[in-house]
Amino acid sequence: MAAVSRARRVRRQLPLSPWLFAAPGLLIIGVFILYPFVSTLVNAFTDKRTLIPGEFVGLANFRELLHDDMFWIGLRNSTLYVLGVVPALVILPLLLALLVQKNIPGITFFRSAFYTPVVASIVVVGLIWVWLLDERGLINSLLEAVGVGRVGFLSDQWLLLLSAMAVTVWKGLGYYMIIYLAALANVPRELHEAAAVDGAGAIRRFVTVTVPAVRSTMALVGALSSVAAFKVFSEVYLMAGPSGGPAGEDTTLVMLVQRTGTGLTGRVGYASAISVVVFVVTVALMLLVLRADRRGEA
Amino acid sequence: MPISRRTLAAAAVCVVLPLSGCGSGDDSGSSDASGKIEGDITFQTWNLRANFKDYFEGLIADFEKKYPSTDVKWIDQPAEGYADKISADAAGGTLPDVVNVSPDLVAPLAKAGLALDLDKAAGQYRKEYLDGAWASHRIPGMSGTYAFPWYLNTGPLFYNKSLFEEAGIDPDQPPKTYDELFTDALELAKKSDGKVATLANVPTVEDFGRYGVPLMNSEGTAFAFNDAKGVELLTKYKELYDAKALDPQALTATPESSGKKFLTGAVAMNPGSALDLGNFKKQAPNLYRNIGITDQITSTGHVNMYVMGVMVNAQTKKKAASVAFAHYVTDAEHQMSFAKKVAIFPSTAGSLDDPYFTKEDGTDETRVRIAAAKSLKSAVNYTPVLFSEQMKTALRNEVAKALQGKESPKEALDNAVKACDTLLQQQG
Repeated sequence: MAAVSRARRVRRQLPLSPWLFAAPGLLIIGVFILYPFVSTLVNAFTDKRTLIPGEFVGLANFRELLHDDMFWIGLRNSTLYVLGVVPALVILPLLLALLVQKNIPGITFFRSAFYTPVVASIVVVGLIWVWLLDERGLINSLLEAVGVGRVGFLSDQWLLLLSAMAVTVWKGLGYYMIIYLAALANVPRELHEAAAVDGAGAIRRFVTVTVPAVRSTMALVGALSSVAAFKVFSEVYLMAGPSGGPAGEDTTLVMLVQRTGTGLTGRVGYASAISVVVFVVTVALMLLVLRADRRGEA
Repeated sequence: MPISRRTLAAAAVCVVLPLSGCGSGDDSGSSDASGKIEGDITFQTWNLRANFKDYFEGLIADFEKKYPSTDVKWIDQPAEGYADKISADAAGGTLPDVVNVSPDLVAPLAKAGLALDLDKAAGQYRKEYLDGAWASHRIPGMSGTYAFPWYLNTGPLFYNKSLFEEAGIDPDQPPKTYDELFTDALELAKKSDGKVATLANVPTVEDFGRYGVPLMNSEGTAFAFNDAKGVELLTKYKELYDAKALDPQALTATPESSGKKFLTGAVAMNPGSALDLGNFKKQAPNLYRNIGITDQITSTGHVNMYVMGVMVNAQTKKKAASVAFAHYVTDAEHQMSFAKKVAIFPSTAGSLDDPYFTKEDGTDETRVRIAAAKSLKSAVNYTPVLFSEQMKTALRNEVAKALQGKESPKEALDNAVKACDTLLQQQG
């Protein structure tokens, strides 16, 4: 009783103390997240340029988007990226986690090896893959040696996009593998043992025991990877170049934001409108995945 | 509680007053640079600290010694994202007093009232510079000149003699005209079964200019590179692309990736400068032994040159010191001493007649330097100052469509001109 009244007294005497503790975090969120977000939202309805303050133009930027071929190319590529990358990043890391889950001698080496691409700089990774996939790179030399001939990984718009997706998957495997490893550690061993006693093989046990047990984690990985895939920039920028591949056909929405809104002649208002679209789609994607998970649970 | 009209008016004034201050000029926006040379100023360069730290520290120390009441703070920015850094500073009101710029960076800054008109503020120095160099920082549609010309650069066309020889082309007779270039390129591709391309880059606006295509109308209000000559050049490039005489990866190439292709012998010709000879010697000794050097190919008789400038922030509070320092960096004496440290060329009148740029000493480096200095006397900066990064991308993408056969060369150039004109109008 005395302790409670002392706590009340302290709270009365220091009404601001919780806010003081939270202040650094709130300040960072306010300056680096809230302010830019609100500012982007406001700019989307103006014709602001880098050096010229804009005027309110209503929905003009959004109307222009509808007639901008490059916007539709960006939307197409970002959507394809989600469709190509997300299933791979939901399933492959799970299989990888199952592989390295067992505690056998030397397994730490493989866990670290699979995680290495995650910590590598995306610029370095991108440049290495550009070198590997070049017309005269290692992969094309091997293909030529076995009689397949050279493949234009970096000159064909679709192969370029696929190559960038492959790099994203390769780089993300280790990260999601760690998340799955944590989830798999919580799957009761008895369930597997019971299924085995009932005569279930490895594949059956994977489908009926492992997958339901890590279902929520799969939804989380799906949500995280779909948001990241829709906002892809670095891989495509590094492999397709600043102009977004041949004739800009590999441009993604975030690349378009960068290209349109930066530089001394950047159209900040128009780029903000594209950013708002990216925001809306990513939130919708996340909600969609989480809702699908909730339905599955029900 | 009802809000009184007076309260509303006061609130409106509070909101509107700070907004009305945005982007407005003040007294510091005038072009008067007279007065005592004193005060603290900042000087920003473009990726020069790594190799020329001693030179610039010495230069600044000498200036401060000459004008003891001044203090110059030197900032160097990396090459990557330089335009974005200037954009952020300009938008945030933290643009340094004296800034190293290229003409295409000056244009939007001048339009936003952030670059000082040197015709008014420093017109007395105009005669010290080459006419063409001084004119390179003029903006169509505006009167005035918005940066001191600094160093110039141009370079020859390098070619791989052994690749020419393997294709049965006389390596001592490199192409001198566009027709010869296209003929040799097709021959090289044919003989190598499409494995060796002659060129690694799609045509840029400079290429159209060098081919003799008018880039803009005389008023500088619209682009014009979609004329018959422009279509002719793009049609030739399409022929090269189909025959693999233009590298298949040219559609996504950058100057760096093209340079690497030349180093590895995947491409037979590449533009460069005297600086590249050192790279060839170090990174590709085999190529260096077989290197051929020829002049830039041009239909106009004028080679392309790149111009660097030094602008003064129109909003600086230390105009006299800033103008004096910008002139000090770019005057004949200091440009000459800088040119002796690196393969660049001064933009000051008479400097290119210095024996350093005219007297042979038997080395390839000197031969390239002398040839470049000679060609610079009549060189042209073909890149229109209003040609923004967005316009470069628009042109590049349309050119790529023509090369891929998705559009005819005429359609592609018409679309590129339309896109660039729209961007030009949006620039204001």
